[in-house]
Amino acid sequence: MSLERLCQALEEGAQEEAERIAKDLLNQKIDSKATVDRLVATMQKVGDRFARLEIFLPEMMMSGQTMASVMQILGPKISQSAGAAAALMKGKVVLGTVKGDLHEIGKNIVKLMLEATGFEVKDLGYDVDPLAFIKEAEALKADFIAASALMTTTMPHQKEIIDLLKDKGLRGKYKVVIGGAPTTQEWAEKIGADLYCYDAGSAPRLMAQLIAKPS
Amino acid sequence: MSTPYRLWEIQKRSNDGPQCDEDDFLPKIFTPKLKQVVKKYGIQWDRKTVLPTDEDLADRVWLAGWELFRDVGLYNTDTHRMIRLSDAEIKEALYMHPGQYWVGAGKDAVLWKHRQIEDRNPPFCIFSPDCTCSEELHYSMCVAFLKEPLLDGFCAPILEDTMGMKIRSASPFEINGCTQHIYNLRLAAKQVGRPGVFFVAVGTAEHDTGQIAVSNNEWGVRTTDSRIIGTLTEFKTADTLLNRVVHCAQYGCYVGNLTGPIYGGWCGGAEGVAVTLVAYSLNGLCIYGAVYNQHFPFHLNWGSNTTRELLWPIAVAGQALGRNSRLLYTSNGFSNAGPMTEMVFYETACHALVSTVTSWDLWEMASARNKYRNRATPLEARLGMEVGHAVAQQGMTRQEANDIALKLLAKYEHMAANAPMGKEYQECYDVPTALPTQEHFDMYRRVKDELANMGVTFPY
Repeated sequence: MSLERLCQALEEGAQEEAERIAKDLLNQKIDSKATVDRLVATMQKVGDRFARLEIFLPEMMMSGQTMASVMQILGPKISQSAGAAAALMKGKVVLGTVKGDLHEIGKNIVKLMLEATGFEVKDLGYDVDPLAFIKEAEALKADFIAASALMTTTMPHQKEIIDLLKDKGLRGKYKVVIGGAPTTQEWAEKIGADLYCYDAGSAPRLMAQLIAKPS
Repeated sequence: MSTPYRLWEIQKRSNDGPQCDEDDFLPKIFTPKLKQVVKKYGIQWDRKTVLPTDEDLADRVWLAGWELFRDVGLYNTDTHRMIRLSDAEIKEALYMHPGQYWVGAGKDAVLWKHRQIEDRNPPFCIFSPDCTCSEELHYSMCVAFLKEPLLDGFCAPILEDTMGMKIRSASPFEINGCTQHIYNLRLAAKQVGRPGVFFVAVGTAEHDTGQIAVSNNEWGVRTTDSRIIGTLTEFKTADTLLNRVVHCAQYGCYVGNLTGPIYGGWCGGAEGVAVTLVAYSLNGLCIYGAVYNQHFPFHLNWGSNTTRELLWPIAVAGQALGRNSRLLYTSNGFSNAGPMTEMVFYETACHALVSTVTSWDLWEMASARNKYRNRATPLEARLGMEVGHAVAQQGMTRQEANDIALKLLAKYEHMAANAPMGKEYQECYDVPTALPTQEHFDMYRRVKDELANMGVTFPY
């Protein structure tokens, strides 16, 4: 029952109520794996509603923040269950908008969607130097480097990240994901990216599929 | 319109305006205020109507936009401060806008005047493909557009490469690309016999250095031309943008403020987009010293603005601005479909129709969601401008325009998500002569005849 209410609060982005219920749950015997699965499924539902624009970015953001805060409360309990922890760790992502580009709304939506569905994200912001993506990926031991570009003249910086990875002998270590309004599958193939995400909503599913695929 | 006094009074607020963390600005300041004014002024989207005729609604959208701009201001991401203005300053800036400007030079100079709702004066027509293009096609595309009879101003496609090398923002390649861009434009204008035509240039410059490098009255962007300076979505700016404001003010060219409020993003729905469009217009006037605003609200998922959730805010914001100001503002179409499809012609016609009748000037057409290289041609823009001229001169009312818009929407709205991407410029136009292929022209003509049967009285 509490889990039902928690999921409803999550869907509504009712952060205070969700935090209160999560604190109550701490004192109860819960199936951690089932709890995490339900919370992630709820966020997926919120994400799907956002993808259809039945709700808008501010509402999606509130749900995302609520989820983050709930996980902070339930974290210690959940980490005791290997299954639950695995459901919450689909991969580590270093994310940013490339150098010279000040646009970040798309990147921020991707961040929300990824975090809400079990990825750990290090957001580097916008106007990010190609080398900074790599340094942060090394420091975080990331699985993905995800680079967004909103201008055609900043797209070459996506390629620079891949070129630098090659020059440093690190290309095989990270999955490079690209996206942004002017980018296309064709561009992703041309520069040798591992994945092209055509919109923010598709990113979690495509990235999860990519990491599950044997290399 | 910015005087040097105002310019520096306002620039100074980047340094001493109220502080705010960037992560907090949109979720804690912008969106809550927007929601508050939408509620306070009772603004509600009616999905069934494309062009409402409720003038009280238009005036409430104006008041809401004013309040939003006054209370939120513009966030400078470099200084983490908000530039805000008082009611008195906004009023003064509106009073000082003359409502008209001569743009362009010599015989090609054109008077750009504020339009009213259902105005019989034709819209000011800025042709722009908005897309990027291959280096080898840039000149031909410039010529093709500059041949368009209804063209009052031109914003050329963006170069992706220069001298065979990919242009990278803020690099030497960008400066070189900007030089190439303006030289192509100047030569094309001279060759078609419109040497003084009004340019909005150069789109190849993403960074301030590229823009500043081509300010030159002999060979470059002239003081009779314009630059557009973007506002970051939503309500943010940065020093690289404000550098352009100062440069343009001191160089003496015209400035347009470029904004793209997003349906589904921080603005929320159609009501929020309408209010934000008004607020952006005040922002452009007061903070960028813009003589005009160039708005391209768009759908978060599709990147277009020809469906009803975007046409309604365009129609309402146009009426709000038309009734309450003397500003100049262009409505920039973004279609779902690409060139040489019937759908792009329907979409452009509908966007131009709705915009013109509700007081906008026109900026057409970013085809294929402005996403693909070479995927725009002058012909879809031509049809949009012809629709604009026609409906203005025949004195079409909002109700009549609404009826036609609904008929047009019925033809394409269901295909918005999976629109055909059409063809590239060189597949629709003969590159050396810069003229449309017969197949392309015939398709345009068919749709134009169809529009005439719907009640659009074309002069020719």
